[in-house]
Order: sequence, then structure tokens, then C-alpha cells
Amino acid sequence: MLLIKNAKIYPVVGDMIERGQILIDNGKIVAIGQTVDAPAEVEVLDLEGKIVTPGLIDIHTHVGIWGDGEGADSMDGNEKPDAINPKVNALDSTNPHQRSFEGAREGGITTMQIVPGSGNPIGGLGFACKSYGNIIDEMVIKNPTGLKGALGENPKNLHGNVLKHAPATRMGTAGLIREYFEEAKAYMAKKEAAEKEGKDFDINMKYEPGVMVLRKEIPFRIHAHRHDDIVTAVRLCQELDIDCSVEHCTDGHKIADFLAKNNVLACVGPGLSNSGKVETADFTDANPAILHKAGVKVCLMTDHPFLNTRHFMTYGAVSARYGISFEDVLKMMTINPAEALGLEDRVGSLEVGKDADFLIYDGHPFSYKTKLEATYIEGKQVWERPVY
Amino acid sequence: MLAVINARLETLTNGVIEEGTLLVKDGKIAEIGADVKVPEGAAVIDAKGRTVTPGIVEAHSHAGINEKGLGWEGRDGNEGTSPITPWCHAKDAINMLAADFDEFREAGITSTGVLPGSANLLGGTAVAVKTKKTAIVEEAIFAEIGMKSALGQNPKGKYGRANKAPSTRMGNAAMLRETLLKAQQYNRKKEAGEEPKFDKSMEALIPVIKGELPILIHCHRADDIVTSIRICNEFNLKYTLEHVTEGYLIVDHLLKNDSLCAVGPTMFYGSKVENKERDFRTPVALSKAGVRFCFTTDHAVVAGRHLRTTAGIAVSWGMDRDEALKAITLYSARHMGQDHRLGSLEVGKDADFVVWSGDPLCFLTHADVTVVDGNVEYEREVL
Repeated sequence: MLLIKNAKIYPVVGDMIERGQILIDNGKIVAIGQTVDAPAEVEVLDLEGKIVTPGLIDIHTHVGIWGDGEGADSMDGNEKPDAINPKVNALDSTNPHQRSFEGAREGGITTMQIVPGSGNPIGGLGFACKSYGNIIDEMVIKNPTGLKGALGENPKNLHGNVLKHAPATRMGTAGLIREYFEEAKAYMAKKEAAEKEGKDFDINMKYEPGVMVLRKEIPFRIHAHRHDDIVTAVRLCQELDIDCSVEHCTDGHKIADFLAKNNVLACVGPGLSNSGKVETADFTDANPAILHKAGVKVCLMTDHPFLNTRHFMTYGAVSARYGISFEDVLKMMTINPAEALGLEDRVGSLEVGKDADFLIYDGHPFSYKTKLEATYIEGKQVWERPVY
Repeated sequence: MLAVINARLETLTNGVIEEGTLLVKDGKIAEIGADVKVPEGAAVIDAKGRTVTPGIVEAHSHAGINEKGLGWEGRDGNEGTSPITPWCHAKDAINMLAADFDEFREAGITSTGVLPGSANLLGGTAVAVKTKKTAIVEEAIFAEIGMKSALGQNPKGKYGRANKAPSTRMGNAAMLRETLLKAQQYNRKKEAGEEPKFDKSMEALIPVIKGELPILIHCHRADDIVTSIRICNEFNLKYTLEHVTEGYLIVDHLLKNDSLCAVGPTMFYGSKVENKERDFRTPVALSKAGVRFCFTTDHAVVAGRHLRTTAGIAVSWGMDRDEALKAITLYSARHMGQDHRLGSLEVGKDADFVVWSGDPLCFLTHADVTVVDGNVEYEREVL
């Protein structure tokens, strides 16, 4: 048992607690408040007024699958050459010993969704895991969490331009996605009929993820930067009657009212972008604020390595510059992604019964003078700030 | 004439002047202090207590030469047809109307070094530009700051993978030496009046060989940094070190050689093997040891508007706050050899400054007004 005391606690769900306490047992929060009942022999961590927030959740990263300075040998995010590649799962590419995992802990990220890249119109399954551990299977908390899709310039560049096959255009990409789900619908009907009749049925790995999406067991998480790609993503998902999350949503600021009206979940990032591509030319640091003010539900993402996980909170602070409160930005990095991943019973806020994933700051998390001192996952300290 | 009144003036070289006034005449700072009279008829910016600092200086960027948001069309930084292209000149590839310069003005960046890329051992002449709103690059350029060079994996990767030279680090070094040696010989012949056959590469290298123009060497890994210093010392060149990612491993060597370093981009891990150690260890270690360095974003590798974000993060890792601010202003100016006219609020220096909504290193702060050569080039719309 561990008792945190004298902490300024931002629980995310519920009001801030000055000089509050958290009691942790078996990796879970068992009590939280101004004072809690704790056994006499409990281990005590007196924080002397330091700030505690929940561990951050990064809704969209390529941590562990994107090399991180290891060169081409460790680039495992885009399976080629098939444009429609739903059968792969990012879990089978993820190396938990890659430095990005430590970077995530340094950045205060305790939970993340790791997804395949955006080279393919349909790129495979993503999953959610904690950022600490030795064996990835022991770190997973939900698998799968979504089917990755992509619109815009990446698929048409990889396939049309480099590999010289379809899709070569935006309409080609959308067409292939439609075709896949129509095939998946037909497959699902046959499968359901076979199940009804008690007949043997040959599973096809290509269509199983599509069926999960069609049954709304997982959402279709679509890479879309440019405004027209975002609108296409919404159109496709409405046509197919599937759950959608728009990944990146870079031009969202141009169509914020449309996104609000259609109740679109916007996973926004990578933050602090350098506009490295044409489809990200109109990136602005003000995007999360504009979407939030329009009433769109926003989650922030690093898209690591495109924003390094270690600077996730800096992304939050820069976003706040355009008029969002600290509490609202924190939601975009905790409870909103927890809900979007269906993990809100376990992570995303400091509440009784949830995992004891939390961060200790020596000052306000948005100040450049503040140090994140320690990251805890399930009651265990998994990162301590080194002194340079 | 322009006057900024009621300003908290962070001069960087002479402390902070509270409720100060700064007068601009003919694009230069004419007067600065707490008791400066505003002449009649002067245009006035009332800072209302806000902080004013020298304009941010990005010593190493590819603004307008590798234009952001344009993809292949906007990439003009590497004449990647030969590893030896010193005859290229950045001025012939900079688009002053590129979105990069809008970003810079909005971020309080008033001048920047624009360098050719790092694919070539010798990539061409780099220039310093003001972030003026102009389509005419000549109106923005105010200095040639060096000859771009590169060691490490970019040149050997670009040419080696195509089965051309250089294909190794020793090949990089040998080809660079060979070219410098030829330039020495070419220059000697010219000085002796022998009129050697015109060679565009050799011509471009004459100021480098004479020690008039520094060579700006891309080097990330510690061994590449050491090789850079070795070659520059052999040829007695003026030089700066660019990136210096693993500098923390060789602090004493940098100190002993009194090397000028531009450190960065620091906010990302390596995109490649040679810069996988990117971290804040290097700026913190160099700052503590007194190595002369500035920060760079290598824009658009990291977006230039986050140069000050980088400086802020360095403070959280233990760098002194005032040193961090100098490392994106005064020290960047020094890196470009322009600290006689940029980088601090001093009488006689260029009137490049920024009115900030708060502490310039704070992540929540906006640049409210950006002034370049005494002209307001950006003003934030406050809704």
C-alpha cells in the first residue's frame, strides 16, 4: 500500500484537491480525497505540495514500430505491397525496448494506442498498452482498439507513385475502402448464415477486422489531414454506418462546425508540426482550441515520432495558448482518449477503482520551468527524471 | 521615427529596463532607457508593460529554400547531382514569399541564416536574411554567412547508395580535403597571377581558403564533430559546427578548440542513426561548461516557431533561463558573425525586436508585434 499525501491533485474527473491524498493498493486507487483512511503501517510519499495529474494517454502513436534512430531496419509501420492490409496488427511490430517507450514515460504518457502507419488505405489493427514493461503482451490492455485507415497523399504516393498500382488518386483510395467494406459485408452475411446453420466456415483474415468494424466492435480510425479528406472520412463512415475517428484532423479548423454537427471525434496531431507535407500545409497550433470552442470532442496525439512523445505536455501547453483552460487540455490528454478507446473504466482520471497511473510535477505542468519528476504506472514508479 | 514606450526591455547585454522607452531611427536603435524623451511626430507603440526583447534569430534554417507544405516542389536545398557543389548559392533558391517567413514573423523571428542542405560535402553559400515582407531576396539578405558542408551519413548515404563516392566516412573526409587542397592551389595560382582555368567550385571556395568565410559543417555524431574540427584545423579555416547532437560526449574538446556550435534540432529523437542521441543533455552540458553555442530548429526539420519552445524546454532540463534566451538571440547572431548588429537591444544595433504577451520562453506567450529594421512586419490580431 502506498499513501500519497500533500499533493495538489488534478483528478480530471472531479475538482482539484489542494493538499490531497491518494491511497494505492495492488496498483489501483482505493481512496482519494482531502484525507483518506490509511492503515498505520502504509508507505508514505509526502509530495510537499507538488502537482499530481493522471498519467497521460496518447491516442495515436507509432512508439516501438518506427525505428527511432535505428534506421531502416526498424521501420515496421507500413506493410507493403497490398493497399488493403487489414490482417496485420501493430502488436506484432512493436519493440518495447525501443527508446520511444522510455520517451513516452518521460513525457508522462502511461497509456497509448499504437497504430500502423498511413501508407495503406487500410493499414491494419491498432492496440492499447501501458508504456512500461519487458514483454509487450503483458503491457497490452486492449487489443484491438481500431482498424487503421488512411486518406490523402500517403496511400496514393506509396501505391500510385512508388509501387505503381492502385490507388493513385484520392477517389481511388476511397473507392478501394468502399470495395473492401462491401466485400466484408458479403463475407459477414455468409459467416452469419453458416453460424446459424451450424456449418463449418473458413475464416478469412482479410475480412475479420472489417466485420469487427461493421459490427461497431471497433472504430475505423482514418488518417485525414486536408479538409476534403476529413469530409470524405465522415462520408465513408456514414455511408457504411460504422464508427469513425478522424486521425490528425489538421485542417479541422477550417470545418469545425461541420465536425461538431456530425459529432466527429477529432484526434489532433502531431502537435507543433513542421508542415512537412502538402496535406499539412495549413497546420496551425490553434487547431485544438478552434475545434474545442466549436464543440468538437478532441483528443491530442503525438503520432510519435512525428511529435516526440517526450514533448506531449509541451504540445498541450502550446495548444492552451489559443484559449483553452489547463483542465480542458488535460481532458484531451486523459479522459477523452480513455473514452475514445473504451478504457474509461480503467484509466484517464484519478478515481477509486482505476489504475494508479499518475505523474508528479514540481510546478504547473504548462510552465517551461517545471520538471516532470516521476511517472507511475499501476502504483509503481517507472520513470525518474535524470539530472543533466 | 518609431518609439516603443512603457516597455519592460530585456536588453540581454545591459539588464532589464522597467517602464523603458526604445527609439528607432533609420532602422537602428537610436536610444534606449527609462528616461528617454519621445520626439514629436514619432509613431508610438505602447507596450503597456509588456516585455520587449531583441528579435529571435534562427542561425540555421532552410526557410524558403526547403519550403514547408509544398512537398517535392518546395525542396531546393540540395543540388544533389554531385557531392561537391560549392558553386551553388542559397540566394538563388530562397522564396521570400514562402509560408515559412509568415511563420517566422508570427513567432518573433526577425532574422535567419538560410543554408543549403546536407546531402553534399560542399553544398553552397549560406546567407542571412531579415524576415521582411518582400518578394525580392536582395532586399532581405544582409550577409553571406558561410559555405555549407556536411559530414556523416547524409553525403555517404546519398552517393554511396548509388554506388558513387563518397560511400564511407573516410571517403567523406578525403573528398572534402582533396577539394580544399585544390582550392588552396587554385588560390595560390591566382594570387601569383597565373590565371588558372576558371573553375566555379574553386572560385566559390577562395573566401573559405582565405579564412574570410566560415565553413558551416553538418555533424551530429561525436566522431563526425571531431573530424570536422580536425579538417578545419588542418586547413586553418574559420568554421562553425552545425547540429552537434553528441556534443555532450566531447565537451572539453569543443572548449579547447573554442568551437562555435549550433545545437539542434533538439525536440525530436533521431530520424536516423547519426542523430539518435538527440536530447537536451548537449545544450545543458555545453552551457554549464561555457562552450559557445546557440539553438537551432533546422527549420523545417522542427518548425522554426518552436525555437523558443526548445529554449524553454532546455530550462526545464537545467539551463539558466537568461542563457537560454541568449541562445536564440545574441548567441545565434554571434554564430552567424552578426552580433555586432543583431541579438541585443543596444544603441546602434538593428531595430529588430518583439513585443511579447508574456515571458518569451513561456509556452503560452504570443509574439504580439514583430519589428524588423524598424518596420512593423507582424501584429497579432487580438480578438
